[in-house]
Amino acid sequence: MSSSSKNTPVCRFKVGDRVRIKDQSWLFYSRVQLYARGVEGTIARLNYTDLVAEDETFNVEGEIEQHYIVQFRQQDLWPEYAFPNDTLQSEYPDRWLEPLNNSQA
Amino acid sequence: MTTATGGHDHGHIHPPAPQVEEISDYSVLEIALRELAIEHGLFTAEEHLHFTEWAEKIGPASGSRLVAKAWLDPEFKKLCLTDANAASKAVGVDWLDPTGAGTPSDYTHFVVLEDTPTLHHVIVCTLCSCYPRPMLGNSPYWYRSTNYRRRLVRWPRPVLSEFGLIVPPEVEVRVEDSNQKCRFMVMPMRPEGTDGWTEDQLAEIVTRDCMIGVASPKPGRTADKHPIHKARHPVGHEPKPMGVAE
Amino acid sequence: MSKSMLAINRSWGKVMASRPELREQHELIGSIQPALHYPQNWTYATSHSMFKAYTHPLHDVGGQPDVPVYYEEKEEEDWELRTYVLCETLGWKGAWNAEERRRRADVDIGYTQYLGIPYYGRWLLAAARMLVDNKHIKVYELQQKIDEVRARYVKQQ
Repeated sequence: MSSSSKNTPVCRFKVGDRVRIKDQSWLFYSRVQLYARGVEGTIARLNYTDLVAEDETFNVEGEIEQHYIVQFRQQDLWPEYAFPNDTLQSEYPDRWLEPLNNSQA
Repeated sequence: MTTATGGHDHGHIHPPAPQVEEISDYSVLEIALRELAIEHGLFTAEEHLHFTEWAEKIGPASGSRLVAKAWLDPEFKKLCLTDANAASKAVGVDWLDPTGAGTPSDYTHFVVLEDTPTLHHVIVCTLCSCYPRPMLGNSPYWYRSTNYRRRLVRWPRPVLSEFGLIVPPEVEVRVEDSNQKCRFMVMPMRPEGTDGWTEDQLAEIVTRDCMIGVASPKPGRTADKHPIHKARHPVGHEPKPMGVAE
Repeated sequence: MSKSMLAINRSWGKVMASRPELREQHELIGSIQPALHYPQNWTYATSHSMFKAYTHPLHDVGGQPDVPVYYEEKEEEDWELRTYVLCETLGWKGAWNAEERRRRADVDIGYTQYLGIPYYGRWLLAAARMLVDNKHIKVYELQQKIDEVRARYVKQQ
């Protein structure tokens, strides 16, 4: 789990920020779920800084990044979802998130 | 006893061929890998034993006690929600055990999710089966199944109803998909009818399923009822190799 | 109740399957379903969707449709507990980290084994493959050891 990488952990977001999960190539490995790609959510919590799973799994010395809990509305994830109050949360490292354009928020 | 045709005299009766139970391919592979790992110095038998001892002692009782304590003590509840690793120590769980740096699979980022009258949590790991082992022991087999992992994120209310739990529509059902290094546990609401209960009495109704979020604690509900698929060779009952006494 | 009615009730009791048998029958009959087969043998090309489907990380199953099933507890086998300890001890002592284990056991393994090999069987195969890939043991050495271990359990003729 430890890394010799000496970078300052990337941390672009704070609790309450609106973000979108990036939809990038997932060839060979990813821990970003298909269901979340391209979906908008809200930063719910800042967890820890650590290596990103895609690097750690191949034992490469990658960068340390902030990991966040992002909260989604279930009705944004699933077209048929019937209950408007329900939510889903999951965890993403900084590189998989992009800020939402405020004018579109 | 000499035979009529003059065949050789055994003088004794052959014992029957030993009854060897079928050993699984996985058991053979595990033994092979463990012996090779020790031969090649990847770990020692003592280290393996040390981890085994830890694995055999973890279980949901710690979690039950954590919830019961939190129900009785608002300050402790606050600690559970702000520093769950520290709160764990109060029930004898050190997230750095048994290696001094935590377990390879469970890490050291424990988070307790608090249910409220308007919020019900339920936990899944859609990608594998991440579970807060130091606090709850090993996960139930159904939690690891593709079936649960496919369905819970998208159809949480139907899945919960299969467990016998119906959540009112105005209560928010929040699915926590633990897909990275955080490890989660649900702190359910304290039910009606438990006024004046001791910590032991309260812990008894906080079962493992309540801390995953697929059940709610109730007075009198002291077990998670599921059918049990028995093991062929449960822990401690593996057949011995030839020539080794039982 | 007349004698003939008693006889009918008794035979009905024998004909009616017990609940576990009924569950088994339902599941067996329900599993006989037509499937769309796309014969696959040295394909020339794939659509974008099929490429994405083939290269999708297997472990990412959240949201895929599935049917209600009877969630049961499974008592742990002796080899399963030992497998868990083996994999974690290897991780503790630095042979691999858990993320590599997950990639090997939950993604690299291929769809057939992902669905067909038991959960801890995949952990075990992942550990075996890692030890060989990372040059801790030679594959021939592993193969010989497997045969040697198996021979300890072979019934004497």
